[in-house]
Parts: sequence; C-alpha cells; structure tokens
Amino acid sequence: MTTIALLDYGTGNLHSLAKAMARVGEVRIADDVSDALCADMLVLPGVGAFGQAASETAPFRGEIRSALAEGLPCIGVCLGMQLLLDSSEESAGEGIGLIGGSVRRISAKRLPQMGWNSVDWDSVARPSRASLRVPRLEVAYFANSFVASPSDESSVVAWATHEGDRFPSVVRTANTVGIQFHPEKSSRAGVDFLCGVAEELLACR
Amino acid sequence: MTLLKRIIACLDVDEGRVVKGVEFVNLTSVGDPAAMAERYEADGADEIVFLDVSATHSGRATLLDVVSRTAQRLFIPLTVGGGVRTVSDVDLVLRAGADKVAVNSAAVSNPLLLTEASVRFGAQCIVASIDARSREGGWEVYVNGGRVPTGLDAIDWARRCADLGAGEILMTSIDRDGTRYGYDLDLVAQVSEAVNVPVIASGGAGNAKHISEAFTSGADAALLAGILHDGTTDLLTLKAELLREGHTVRRAA
Repeated sequence: MTTIALLDYGTGNLHSLAKAMARVGEVRIADDVSDALCADMLVLPGVGAFGQAASETAPFRGEIRSALAEGLPCIGVCLGMQLLLDSSEESAGEGIGLIGGSVRRISAKRLPQMGWNSVDWDSVARPSRASLRVPRLEVAYFANSFVASPSDESSVVAWATHEGDRFPSVVRTANTVGIQFHPEKSSRAGVDFLCGVAEELLACR
Repeated sequence: MTLLKRIIACLDVDEGRVVKGVEFVNLTSVGDPAAMAERYEADGADEIVFLDVSATHSGRATLLDVVSRTAQRLFIPLTVGGGVRTVSDVDLVLRAGADKVAVNSAAVSNPLLLTEASVRFGAQCIVASIDARSREGGWEVYVNGGRVPTGLDAIDWARRCADLGAGEILMTSIDRDGTRYGYDLDLVAQVSEAVNVPVIASGGAGNAKHISEAFTSGADAALLAGILHDGTTDLLTLKAELLREGHTVRRAA
C-alpha cells in the first residue's frame, strides 16, 4: 500500500488534507522528518506561520531537499508550498530551498486573500517534468497574504491574480508540486485535483 | 479575475444539534450539523460556519466531536465560533478540524488573544466576530450573545481587531438579525471602508437582492441562516439570481 506522510509542524487543521488524500494511499501524520521521508510521498500541509514551520523543518532542510531533488514525490500546500523556497518576508527562518527565491507579501489593499479565485494555467509548453497532466482545476479556495516569488519562473505551472498582483498558484520541480490554494478546501473538484496530482507524481517515481 | 463573492451558511449548534428554525421536513439529516453542512456544500455554499450556543461543558465537548465528524466529509472551509476564550481553545477547535475560529466576547475582554492566536496559527484562521446594535451616530458592540453592551464603537473596534491580527471581520447587526429585512448596509459599507481585511455581512438576509446589496456595499461575503434552513430558498437559486445581477459568485460544481 502506498504510504503518504503528512508532516505536522505543530499547528492547525490536518484532518481535511489527510481525509482528502485517503483514497490515494495510507495517510499518516508524522512529527518526525526522518520518519516522514521514508514514506512513498511527503505532504507539507498549509496551516500556520512560516517562522513556526521553518523552525520545525530547518534542522532537516538539507535532508529534505536532497530527498526531493532525488525524486521523492512531494506536495506542498499553501504554506507548505512556500516552505519549498529559501526564505519569507513573513518571518525569519530558512525554507527547504528546493526552489530558489523567496516568499513575498501580496501587493493588495485587502489581505488576506480569502476566498475562491481563478487558477490561470500557463500556456507555455513545457517538458513533462515541469508540467502536470491531471485535469485542470479552474476555481480554487485561497487563504493567504504571502506568495512564492521564484527566481526562475520555469517551475510555474499556473498563476493567480489578487487585486492585480499576479503570483504562482502551482509550481513543479522534479517530483514536487507546490499548490498555493487549498485543494482540500475547494470542494469535490479540488479533492479530485489533489488526488490526481498525487497519483501522477507517484507514477513518476 | 479577482476574488469571487462568497455565500456562507451558518448553523447554530446546541449540545451537538442544529437549533433555530430548521424545518427540512423530509430529511433524515434534520438537526445533524455534519449532514447539513455536507448538503449545503453540495448545493454550492462557499463556506460553513458553526456557532456553538451550548451553555454547558458537555455541550462544548460535543461540539469538538461534531467538528471532527464534519471535517471528515466537508471539503469547503469550516469556521467555528462560540465560547472560544483562550489560545488553547483556538488550538482545540483547529485540531478538531476547523479551518478558522471566530472569537467574539473573549476578544473584548482580552484583545491580545487575537494577536497571540494570529501569530501562532496565522491571521487567515482568526475571525473577529462582532455583534453590533445601532445607537446615536453609529453602532455599539455587544457581547455575551448580544446581551451586554460594551460602550465600544463597532467600526473602531473592527479596525482595532484587524490591527491586532484578525484576518477577517464577521459583522452581525443585532437589529436586523432574524428580521429578513436585509443587511444593515450602512454598517456593511462603513466597516468595509474601515478595515483592510475581508468583511462578512451578517444579520437580516431575506432574499438574493439583500445579498446583492451587501456585496455592492463592500462586503466580501454574506452570511445566511434562517432562509436556507427553513427552505424559503436555496443556494442554487440564490447564486443563479446573483449571477444574473452581475455578481461574480462560484457556480456549484
């Protein structure tokens, strides 16, 4: 049976994500990074603040980065996607650094961006490793004030725009996909998308 | 494209059961918060709010069980409010499976609760819930279920809550609550202007036109309760009307 480790940084709701992924494999909540890296897939959940999550993962950043670079399937959701970068304006602390760049505040009057927004898929043709074949999700639930700002945009698969500020909403590097919105909160279509991404990554192992 | 306007279905929960004006006659799910939330998701609700009105400890414990049962089957955001007093209460509710926690009276007696909770869990999961009653020249904040006046101006208090770390304001007009005369649009407009976080209009929804007016007045989201629970209308009908009115709302999947 496929095992999926949901890394617990110590705060927030992990139920929905765990439940949403249950049809892909056996999901277990892991507080220990080394233990989590032994699973078939690593999931970095999307609740909490960057600093808090970074302080949990920073001691293992090299270990996590190597595992992901070597092709361990991984999905980072919201904050979990932001952790894939080097650093964040939100708070001090080092991210995993799989994707070069930083996390910045959205340039908008009303923040957090809270609600349903369009996912704009990038039309540029890409080699398969930097794209996704799963059916596209058109509208998704976002709850964030910060977004990824990768130094190299070739990892960006989809974008979104809040009050005129455009930012990556889905990125892919190796077998890791970062998702800025919450697919597990985007109703049935979101759950189908999430499971589709997971299955696609697992098939690429 | 910008954010879609949200419609939020609110359920009052007492000792684990939905109370107040729930009259679905032919459903076995009557009164079960998890089943009702799931039904509203299928109809196209953008979010669900559970407001715990239990007066007892056992009621609170039951609520956590209800939240965790709901989280197993609901795949839209769930906000839980009522009786949240401390950061550890916030933690318990989030751990049970809520995505956001609404803080009301406790924020008035201990404003730093908003800051502590926001720093620890992120502003996006802390909602400042404000019950306001109109008075000469504005609105006054009431606490303890709208029974106790605080002397605070509701607009000033909303601004302060956002400054302290709340990521969203849920503004309920006590005067309009349950009347179905429409939202207090002056209140909606003034609070939306005053804060830079999303605003949910609450209290008084009777039909799609009222929701439309709230959106036009600046609300990011509209809270509904009675008119959904008693079958006066449903989310599919409301959203179709709002789309015809030119509002950007999410179509049910």
